[in-house]
Amino acid sequence: MRLILIDNLPDVRFNFYPLSLGRPLWELRCGMSSLADKLIAKIKPDSVAYFVPDYMAEVYKDQVNESVNDMASLAGDDLILVDPLVKAENFDIPVKGKSEVGLDEDGRILYAQIKKVDMKKSTFDDIEEFIASIKSELPNVSCKLATWEYVWDLILANGEQITTGFAAAGRHGFEGSLEEPVAVRGDRKDVYVAPGVKVHPMVTIDAEHGPVYIDERAEIHPFTRIEGPCYIGKDSILLGAKCREGNSIGPFCRIGGEVEESIIHGYSNKYHDGFLGHSYVGEWVNLGALTTNSDLKNDYSNVSVMMDGRRAIDTGSTKVGSLIGDHVKTSIGTLLNTGSYVGAMALIMAIGKPLPKHIPSFAWFIEGIVTKGFGKGKLYETAKTAMSRRKCQWTPAMESMWNAVFEMTAPVRMKAIKKGRKTLLK
Amino acid sequence: MATVEERVKAITAQVLKLNVEDIKLEHSFTADLGAESVQSIELVAMFEEEFGIEMDEDAALSVEIVGDAIKFITDVCKEQGVEVEE
Repeated sequence: MRLILIDNLPDVRFNFYPLSLGRPLWELRCGMSSLADKLIAKIKPDSVAYFVPDYMAEVYKDQVNESVNDMASLAGDDLILVDPLVKAENFDIPVKGKSEVGLDEDGRILYAQIKKVDMKKSTFDDIEEFIASIKSELPNVSCKLATWEYVWDLILANGEQITTGFAAAGRHGFEGSLEEPVAVRGDRKDVYVAPGVKVHPMVTIDAEHGPVYIDERAEIHPFTRIEGPCYIGKDSILLGAKCREGNSIGPFCRIGGEVEESIIHGYSNKYHDGFLGHSYVGEWVNLGALTTNSDLKNDYSNVSVMMDGRRAIDTGSTKVGSLIGDHVKTSIGTLLNTGSYVGAMALIMAIGKPLPKHIPSFAWFIEGIVTKGFGKGKLYETAKTAMSRRKCQWTPAMESMWNAVFEMTAPVRMKAIKKGRKTLLK
Repeated sequence: MATVEERVKAITAQVLKLNVEDIKLEHSFTADLGAESVQSIELVAMFEEEFGIEMDEDAALSVEIVGDAIKFITDVCKEQGVEVEE
């Protein structure tokens, strides 16, 4: 049986911006793993086929071993299609049931069981034709499955997902090296230190309120305090960090200062002091020293986020920090307001007061306004340099993908630039 | 209507806080007129607003000399169908 994951609904993708600009939805992380990892663990397919927006297909092909946007993968096997935003733990459909399409009340496919014998046609021009075909040929049933609706849902569920992931991993104990004195609070069965990990002296691991999983080759420097539930990814370094509960970090991150209830993708740095709370940070991000975000409003009311720069969406939560896209760079002393949106590739030069709540992708925020800055070419040069420092390569496919994102995000950015120029002209 | 040269010099004087008459065609924005990198960005933005054009940032920011900027902007205006006094 082959699992089919499709990411083709722009309106749904938008709810996970800026993080979904450079990756398919199922590569978003929550807890100890990605959404795809969770679905695969739950369904246990023989193989997986991915269908991603065309502009990111080449980059994604370089990242996975399975087929990407290959129409041939829709033939030759029984298929199970699952909406990538369905919460894996709630997916209770028997995977070897009869052919049918499960739709929510808006007609969105949440899952489809497709026995190859039940399909009249085995070749399709594109994924939309395939979707239309299964909807029309197979029995439709209405269903309710919990889904992730917005990117902040992942942040808010992170601690709980770490706890679930820790239990599912079934590991505990100390396989890495610990230099005494190291204080472990809570039950030692709630701590796993993987092989190759180095825990320096004067570190506190507090598993009293949740498990702590430190993955392979991570290094924990002195005076770090890690509160569970927490997942520290492979090859990450914590530099005297106050790592509060609910964090998923790594791989290859460098984290200092105070971090709470946040998800940080690979290769991102927050080396220095400054608070990051209830935030989702993409990969290759660098947060300059003293970059700090608010995750709670002074009046304790719900936090809203402006995904498109104008319409505020109520998150329904009093605690939401910042959504920070891939390759963002912030200067020293950057202050991010509650529920801030910082688009991919944006570059921030701090102004000593909280930034506007929406910074578009590829924006150069300088002297208090959004500008074109030195253009995307310079941002690419910086990305190339940052990646080469970690022995990774900026590829032509990446450049094409980000060029597409640059075009997609141009209208919102240009509005912000025009607004900034009005300030300049005054 | 003022010429491209007059308009470029006026914007440059405004952004860099200089007297127009002190700006010469052969001057470098950075070495002679003291433009810092942030001011270069501001200059490009103001030129775009002044002439109603859109410039490629990489190309625009690689122009270093006032005289070259006048030629560059004149060419962009022609390409984008904006009438200017040369």
